[in-house]
Parts: sequence; C-alpha cells; structure tokens
Amino acid sequence: MMMFNNLTVASMVPSHHNLVYHLIVILIAALAAFIPRYFPLHFFTNRKIPEWFDEWMKYVPVALFTALVVKGIFVDSKYRLITEHVSWLGNVLVYGHVTYLIAAVFVMLVAYFTRSMAFSVVVGLLVVWLLSFI
Amino acid sequence: MQEKAHQINPEKARWLENLGIAMPLCLSYLPIGIACGILLHAAGMNFLLTLLVSIVVFSGGAQFILASLLVIDAPISTIFITLFFLELRYALLGSSLSKYLSNESPAMIFLFSFSMNDENYAVNYLKFVTDKHWTTRDALMVEHYSLISWAGGNMIGGLIGNTISIDLNIVDFALTALFLYMIVMQIQRRLSLFICILSVFVSLFCLLITRSTIGIIVSTLLMSLLGFWIEFEVRKHHANPDDAWILGKLFRPRTTRTTKEDVEVEKQLEEEAEEADENTDKADDVDDNKDERGDRS
Repeated sequence: MMMFNNLTVASMVPSHHNLVYHLIVILIAALAAFIPRYFPLHFFTNRKIPEWFDEWMKYVPVALFTALVVKGIFVDSKYRLITEHVSWLGNVLVYGHVTYLIAAVFVMLVAYFTRSMAFSVVVGLLVVWLLSFI
Repeated sequence: MQEKAHQINPEKARWLENLGIAMPLCLSYLPIGIACGILLHAAGMNFLLTLLVSIVVFSGGAQFILASLLVIDAPISTIFITLFFLELRYALLGSSLSKYLSNESPAMIFLFSFSMNDENYAVNYLKFVTDKHWTTRDALMVEHYSLISWAGGNMIGGLIGNTISIDLNIVDFALTALFLYMIVMQIQRRLSLFICILSVFVSLFCLLITRSTIGIIVSTLLMSLLGFWIEFEVRKHHANPDDAWILGKLFRPRTTRTTKEDVEVEKQLEEEAEEADENTDKADDVDDNKDERGDRS
C-alpha cells in the first residue's frame, strides 16, 4: 500500500492555497449548491412547472454522471486517454484504469441488486484495494 | 416491531419518530462522509473548513469533485461552473417538491432548499406522497438529521486524515463509485440506458477535444437534449407512446427500497383506482383525503 505521510500530502496542495483562498472557494461552492436548490423550488411553489423543463431535466443526471465516471476511469489529470499494459492479463493493452474498470463492474452489480449507496461504494473501494496487491 | 417501537417511543414524540425514519440514511452517510473528509483534508482543508463545506454544500458528489479540483489547482471559475452543473439536478428535485411547500413562509422555503439532498429528497418525497400527516416541519427534521450525520462523518474524516495513512488512489475511487451508484439508480427506462451508453463515447470525445472540464458540460448538454428530443419525437409519432419499446422500463429486482419513479407509478394507479371509485358510486361523500389528492394531480 502506498503511504501518504504529511509531507506528500502537503506537497499536493498548491502553495497559494491559504485560508482566505479556501474561504472564497467555499463561498463559491456554497453559491453553486444553493442557486439550483433554492430558485426553482421557490419559483414553482406558486406556478406550474413547464413540461419541457421537466422532460429535459430527466436526462441531465444520467448524461452528467456518465461523463464524470468516464473522466474518472479513462482520462488522466492532463486530459489524455489512459492506456495501460496489464502484465497479469498477458501484457494486453487496455484503455482506462484497469483496477477502476473491474471495480466499476462490481459497483454496478451491487447497486443494481441492493440499491444501497454505502454498500456499493464500500464494495468498490474494497475491490480497488484488493487489486492493488496484484 | 410495532410493539418495540412503542416501547422506545411511548409518547410518540415526533422528533423521535422522524429520527427513526431518517436513521437508515444517517447510517449510510457516515462512511461516505468520512471518505469525503479524508479527501478534503488531503486537498488542504482543515477539519473546521471541512465541516463548513459539508454544511453549506451538503452533497457527496460535489464535495468529492471539489477536493479533486483543489488538488489540480483548477481556477475558481471552473470550480463554480462544474459544481453548478453538478447541482443542477436539484432544480428538478426542488421543483417536484414545490407543490407541497406552497403554503410555507419564505424562511421555511429557504431552510428547506438549503439542506435538500438526493437521499433525503427520496425519503421526503415518499412520505409526502404516501403519508397525509407528513408536514414540511417533519421533512425539514429529516433533512437536518441527515445533515448532522453527513457533517459529523466529514469532520471525523478531516480529523483522522491527519493521523492515519491511506492510499488516496483507493479513496479517490469513492467518487466514481458514488456516481456509478447514482447512474444505476437513475436508469429506469431503455432510453436512459441508451443515453448513458452513448454518453460514454461522446463525453470521452468531448474531454479529449476540449482538454478541460468544459468537455463534461458540453457532453451533458448534448446528451440530455438528445434524450429530450428522442422522447419528444417518439411521443409525437407513436400512436401509444407509453407502450413504445424505447420508453419501456428495464427489468429491476424488486427490493424494499422504492424509487421516485416507482412512487409515481403507484400514485398514478392509486389515482386511477380512486377515479374509478368515484365513477361507480357518485352518491358517496367525498372526504378530505380525496380532495387533497385531486388538487395534486
């Protein structure tokens, strides 16, 4: 298991990230969280929801979550496609993080059959952890 | 079971009853909250800032993303746009609950929307639809119980992030796992599955072309509009759109948990049954319950 002591953690944090910067980020994040929560709810308490808005919003979560998963599995931090040669699969070339790909299958199966958020996430982390020994 | 509940709560105190309703939620928030706290700690926030974030943002996905954006030192504008699009789904959740809040004060609406979340929304929606004694005050209580558990988990994560060494590659997968879980919960119909599969390729293409998180937003807009358009066209050209294959429901194992769509279907069936009732014996007096349901539909 890789060890992250305080030194490596500190080096991960960009040098200009001080308390003021973090407070600004929190304020921005709070606004981004608050606006979509408050205004539609407030606006529609006395009005009827337009049908097209409802219909369109139905597809936003699926499209967004899929894009985020794709970014987590197939793209690195410099936005290049990840390719890995997997030694325990006979040096085959695989697109994406192999451990994440395998764990993703387990997460989807557990989510499908149990519908439990905590259980799905814990199983996913466990699979990634176990595969890190290979 | 009932007897036991009565022993624990003989006075039938509302706060205790609501705590029981929120308990499964609170328990599942704890481990994910701890993982989130550890990541935010690694991104440079101390446990007090982590606590503050978990209260004002109160969204697992958004906080995980925030941690990874801080680590890659993304500009503040990118942080805002990414989080805003991620939280845009609450526009849908909020507007679907708005009819139950029509008689509330602006302060109550503010408080309620401030702590609304995917999971406590699901609990409250189910209660509003099925329990006619469920009030906004009860719903707010459920939100606050889940908030306490989430914020507590985050703070614990922020505190132990300092003392234990954890492989961040493993905790990092929690974000992807969380979104995978939400995708599986979201996909109820064949069209959603189709949009999801197509999104894999489109989003990958957009990400590699734009080389930034803008790719995620472009892909989300394109694919959600495509889904909207396909459904629109099917409904326009199909004689019986609800029977169309592409809009059909996927097979799911039936478990104790009920999703929003299931509730809607059940509600519809209930209303149809009630309508049939009313048609058969019109002489019957209409009670309050029926009046209420009539207003909602």
